[in-house]
Amino acid sequence: MRGISRLDGKYAVTMDLYPPQGKEFTRIQPFFDNLKDGRFTTTKCKDCGKLSYPPRIICPQCLSENLEWVDLPKEATVLVSVVEEIGVPVGFETPLCLAMVKLDGAFTFITRIINCKPGALEEGDKVRFVSYEVEPFPAEFGRETVEIKRYYFAFEPVDENKRK
Amino acid sequence: MRKVCIIAGGMSQWGVRQATLRELFQEAGKACFEDNPMVTNKDIDGLIVASAYTERLATQTHLAPLIAEHLGIKTRSVCARVELLCASGSSAIIMAYGLIKAGVADVVMVAGGEKLNTPQKWEAFYSQLCSVDHDYDGAHGLGLPPAALAMVAKLHMKKYGTKEEQLAMVSVKNRRNGLNNPKGQFRECIDLDTAMCAKVVAKPLKLYDCCPLTDGAAAVILASEEKAKELTDRPLVYIMGTGQCTLYNASANKVDWTSWEALRIASKKAYDEAGITAKDIKVAQVHDCFSISEIIEYEELGFCKKGEGGPFVESGQSDFGGQVAVNTDGGLLSCGHPFGGTGIRQGMEIMKQLQGRAAKNVEGAQFGLTHNFSGMIAAQTVLVYGREK
Repeated sequence: MRGISRLDGKYAVTMDLYPPQGKEFTRIQPFFDNLKDGRFTTTKCKDCGKLSYPPRIICPQCLSENLEWVDLPKEATVLVSVVEEIGVPVGFETPLCLAMVKLDGAFTFITRIINCKPGALEEGDKVRFVSYEVEPFPAEFGRETVEIKRYYFAFEPVDENKRK
Repeated sequence: MRKVCIIAGGMSQWGVRQATLRELFQEAGKACFEDNPMVTNKDIDGLIVASAYTERLATQTHLAPLIAEHLGIKTRSVCARVELLCASGSSAIIMAYGLIKAGVADVVMVAGGEKLNTPQKWEAFYSQLCSVDHDYDGAHGLGLPPAALAMVAKLHMKKYGTKEEQLAMVSVKNRRNGLNNPKGQFRECIDLDTAMCAKVVAKPLKLYDCCPLTDGAAAVILASEEKAKELTDRPLVYIMGTGQCTLYNASANKVDWTSWEALRIASKKAYDEAGITAKDIKVAQVHDCFSISEIIEYEELGFCKKGEGGPFVESGQSDFGGQVAVNTDGGLLSCGHPFGGTGIRQGMEIMKQLQGRAAKNVEGAQFGLTHNFSGMIAAQTVLVYGREK
C-alpha cells in the first residue's frame, strides 16, 4: 500500500505556502478579495488611526474592532535586494529574488520580486505591486471538496528593460 | 526567591546524524548525567524539552513525556516542551530557572534538540517558511535567513563600512574555536582565503558565513542552590540574570534592520539583574547563525560601540586574549545549529568556562553570557551566568 509520503516522489508532508482564504476560514477575506481586484489593502483603526500591516481584526494599539480597509500605495522603492541561490524552498524559482522595499509613504517590508531579469534589480529601483492567482484551498464541506480560489502578490520592476 | 545553579551539561554528537530525534535526546541525556556523576535520573523532578520542528520533521508532538520515558526520568513538578525556534533552548532554561527560583521545581533537566536532516533536504528549508510570519513573509519565499541576513549585511556594510573580510574573520575564528568542541559538526580550521572564495549563498554571505543544518541535542541540569550543594562539588555557577525581548515579528514592522533595539533591551535587563555591565563579561556564546549577526551582537550587547563590530573582530577583541572571548567552542558556525539544542550547548560551555574545565579556558572569567535571536530577528534572548566568588 502506498503511503502519502510517496506522492509526487516528495518526502513527508508538503506545506501550504499561502494563507487560508475564503470567508469560512478567515475574517480578513476582504484583503484577498481586494488582491483579486488588483488592490493592495490593509486595515486602519477608525478610533485611533493606527495603520496595521499585516491586516488585523483588532487594532494592536487601542484594541478597537472598529477597523476599515484602506488602499496601500502600489509603488515601492528598493532599499536592498538579495538573490538567493541555495536553499530556495520548493515552490519558488531558483534563484529567488527578494527585496526590502519602502512602500511609497508607508512602511518598509520584504517582498518577493518577480518578472525580473536575474541580477538586474538595483538599490533605488522602483517596483510595483502585482497580484495573481495561486493554488486553491481544497476545502471540505460535508462530503464535498470545493476548491476555493486564492490570490497572492509580489512586486515587479517598473522599468520594462529590467523585466523578463 | 531562591538562587538557581547549573550543575551538569552534555551533548550528543552534532552533525548529519544517522539517528532519530529520540536517539539524539538519549545521547544528550546520558552525556549530561555522565558529566556530573553526583546527579542521576532519580534526582530529576522536572523536564523541559526544547525543540522547534518536532512536528514537521520528527512527526511527534507531546515530546517531553517521550524524552522523560527514554531517559528514565519520572517528573513531578513540570514536564513540557518550549518552542522559540533558534532560542528554544535558552527559553527552556529561562522557564526552568523561573520555576526553580519560585519553588515550583527543585532539580530540572532542560534538554533540546532537532533532527533537521530528513531523507530529502528541502524539507528543512520548507519548514522555515512557518517560522517567520507564514502568511505575510513566508508566502514570499522568505524562510529564515540567509536572505534577510544577507540584506542586513549589505545595509551594515553600507552604513558602517563593515568589510566582507571582517565577516569572514568571524567564520575563521569560530571554525578555529570549533576544535575545542569534540562533538561539534565541523572540526576543521579554515583560512581567510578559503572563506572569501567560498560558494555564494546569498551575497555577501558565502558558505562559511552560514551555519549548517544540524542534527543534535544537548542537555543541562538546573537546581536550586540548596540542591546544587548536594549534587555537585564543583564551583557553583548561577544564573544571574535573563532577558527576552520582542518588539515586532513581521518584516513590515521592523524599524531598523541593523540596529537591534530588542537586544539592547534584553541585555540591559539581564545585566541589571546580575548587577554587572557588558565590561564584566569575559566569555560569551552569541548567536552566530551568520557571520554578520555576531558582528551586530558585539555592538548591541555593548562589547563595542555601534558600528564597530567589524573592527572589533579584526583586532582580535572577540578572541581568546581579547576583551571578551566569543563563541569559545565554535558557536553555531562550527558546532552547527539544531535549534532547540543551541542555547543549551551555549549554557553548558559557559558553565564549563566558569568552572574552569572547558577545553580551552578564558582565564579569570567570573561572568559569562549566552545570546540567541530567533525568527526573522524577531526575538532576542540573553542569559547571564556567574560563578561563586
